[in-house]
Amino acid sequence: MSKKTYAMAIRDCIAEEMRKDSNIFIMGEDIAEQGGIFSCTRGLLEEFGPELVRNTPISENSFVGAGIGAACAGLRPIVELMYMDFVYVAMDQLLNQAAKIRYMFGGKAKVPLVIRGQQGIGRGNAGQHSQSVEALFMHIPGLKVALPSTPADAAGLLRTAIRDDNPVMFFEHKALYATKGEVPDDEDFAIPFGQANVIKQGTDATIVATLYYVDKALKAAEILEKEGISCEVIDPRTIVPLDIDTIIGSVEKTGRLIIVHEAHKTGGVGAEIASQVTENAFMYLDAPPQRLGAKQCTLPFNLGLENAVIPQIEDIVKAVKKTTYK
Amino acid sequence: MANRVIMPKQGLQMTEGTIIKWFIEEGSEVKEGTPLFEMETDKLTIQIDAPASGKLLKIVRQEDETVPITELIAIIGEEGEDFSNLLNKNEHQSAPEQTDVPKVAKDENQKIFEVVTNSKRIFISPRAKMIAQQNGVDFSKVLGTGQQGYIIEKDIKNYIEYSAKGTPLAKKLASMNDVEINQLQGSGSRNKIVKEDILKYVAEKNRGTTDSEGVIIPFAGMRKIISERMVESLHTAAQATHHIKVDMSEASSLKASFKKADKRVSYNDIIAFSVCRSLIDYPIMNSELTEQGILLKDYVNLGIAVAVENGLIVPVIKDAELMTIEEIGIMTRELATKAKNGQLKPDEYKGGSFTISNLGMFGLDAFTAIINRPESGILAVGKIEKASVVIHDEIVIRPMMVLTLTYDHRVVDGAPAAQFLAAVKKYLEQPYLLL
Repeated sequence: MSKKTYAMAIRDCIAEEMRKDSNIFIMGEDIAEQGGIFSCTRGLLEEFGPELVRNTPISENSFVGAGIGAACAGLRPIVELMYMDFVYVAMDQLLNQAAKIRYMFGGKAKVPLVIRGQQGIGRGNAGQHSQSVEALFMHIPGLKVALPSTPADAAGLLRTAIRDDNPVMFFEHKALYATKGEVPDDEDFAIPFGQANVIKQGTDATIVATLYYVDKALKAAEILEKEGISCEVIDPRTIVPLDIDTIIGSVEKTGRLIIVHEAHKTGGVGAEIASQVTENAFMYLDAPPQRLGAKQCTLPFNLGLENAVIPQIEDIVKAVKKTTYK
Repeated sequence: MANRVIMPKQGLQMTEGTIIKWFIEEGSEVKEGTPLFEMETDKLTIQIDAPASGKLLKIVRQEDETVPITELIAIIGEEGEDFSNLLNKNEHQSAPEQTDVPKVAKDENQKIFEVVTNSKRIFISPRAKMIAQQNGVDFSKVLGTGQQGYIIEKDIKNYIEYSAKGTPLAKKLASMNDVEINQLQGSGSRNKIVKEDILKYVAEKNRGTTDSEGVIIPFAGMRKIISERMVESLHTAAQATHHIKVDMSEASSLKASFKKADKRVSYNDIIAFSVCRSLIDYPIMNSELTEQGILLKDYVNLGIAVAVENGLIVPVIKDAELMTIEEIGIMTRELATKAKNGQLKPDEYKGGSFTISNLGMFGLDAFTAIINRPESGILAVGKIEKASVVIHDEIVIRPMMVLTLTYDHRVVDGAPAAQFLAAVKKYLEQPYLLL
């Protein structure tokens, strides 16, 4: 085990995989000499050279498309988007091409592509640089979606993403880059997709949280523990595939479900999880599932307003109490 | 006009009670104020008097039934009176079980019957419903604690625990003694587990496991409450003690005068009356330490400690400072009788502001008592005994008594406590000052 930041865990994993497989290359805006604006590719240019570590122009549609083509041709590209918000520029490439190629070519072509980048609030980056957009990619079949919440998860899930023969959307969070944690030194350490992490056991309510909200959910659980409410905290880690069995198993025990994420509540991942639990485990519910997510408005520039739009720890506490009738 | 008899609420926490025994048979005469039935809550067993006179027209809820508060349990009225309008919706729940009808048909009948008669929709969480069905609980009888009476998991679990085949008191005792109630064979009617079953089980269990020979008294119920309260008092209050000798000659003459006038006034009543007066004179002894500060109470709720079987209880004479000496006497005897019969209602033993404990009848010279928190003082009364005392340089024989005041030194200092005790002495030695 080594103690690393979330950003370094990502960088080291990319380097380790590139050393093993010369088909892997990485491209994106300012990733070569500058090492990426969050240092996730620092030192890669020096080690692997400009052929494998390539700067791109500000043209997401083109370089995401180039990544898809390279993947079809046998390479294993990692494409970094500086902000995941910019993915909208490349939506046709991703949703109409990357997601559908393997199916529409009858399995004769595959797309071993990783699109990675950061999203979320925390820096007052305003409406076009602070969004959480994972739900869009859960809706369209053909893409896998990973949401690492710790340095170890970042390393383990990224390795699985790079080794996967299908396109993977890999959502990092800008507020997590500086967080530190133990990461296994094993260069084959990989976390299989579709395996939720039960971070804390509990008996009274199940809190499902992703990314930045895993930590907030744990803090809420700590507060609730003092008031005699025992919460189970689950991080699904990937939402495609989604480990709904672990969540349902937990709800069968606790009878109460709270889903919290930073992305907008309306039509969000929480809605999907709540629906699946309600469809499959309705009789185990003692209260309606509660969803928490950003309010249905554009994320503000002002940091105070930013916090007013997204759920706070107290909101999680309140939602849990509501389901436990306390 | 027929009168409804409902399950009465005895104390703030009570939500339901179990009818133990009907003293009057259906169709017999009842008289207002005489015992009608005995019931049990999770706290106490109590006799309830008839609220009206007349004929007991109908017993709606039978013995051993657990009934939510305010629900109809019987009807008192005049012979031949039509009381059907009073029965209406409660009636079907107590309908006797039909044993000879095939099971499925019976369930269906019941369902239809309920739909027809009980048009109120029941809101219940899916989980609560599942648990109810797994345990065969008829959730239409469960009181929901969620929003607007929504029945939730907790309600069903509480109901299952509560409706196990034991009386509420037995269940309370069982949980206090870590006894798995369902293991036991009940000796009550319809094999219901009663208090005695639990006590017997505990005694037998302890006999097997303790090293020493002897009988084990279960440390539960009142014994445990007394224990907790006494320890809490000693831990919290700074208890200090004063003694004073009182010449009871004048009190004795006062008592004799009342007797001559055919009025019953005891030494205890004279002491209680003198204490009330002294508390008015020294309100610091009639106070309570609260978060805001020392609360000087503008009323005297006088507690009189009464020994009962296996324990002790302190009934409280409310607003004792407004009573005559005779009224205090009447109240004391009434409450003591109720205490010994286990008939005290919660508001008859709560809210005291000062307590008197008299063990003189056991021949004690003097003793110290532990403050009955949150009060600030307790007066321990010893026996009255003729003793030689020196008065005006002469040895004379006088009926003497020792009073022992335990006071909370956090609230009262030694000097004011002494002044209070001296005032009690003054009133007892010169009772005409009480006028």
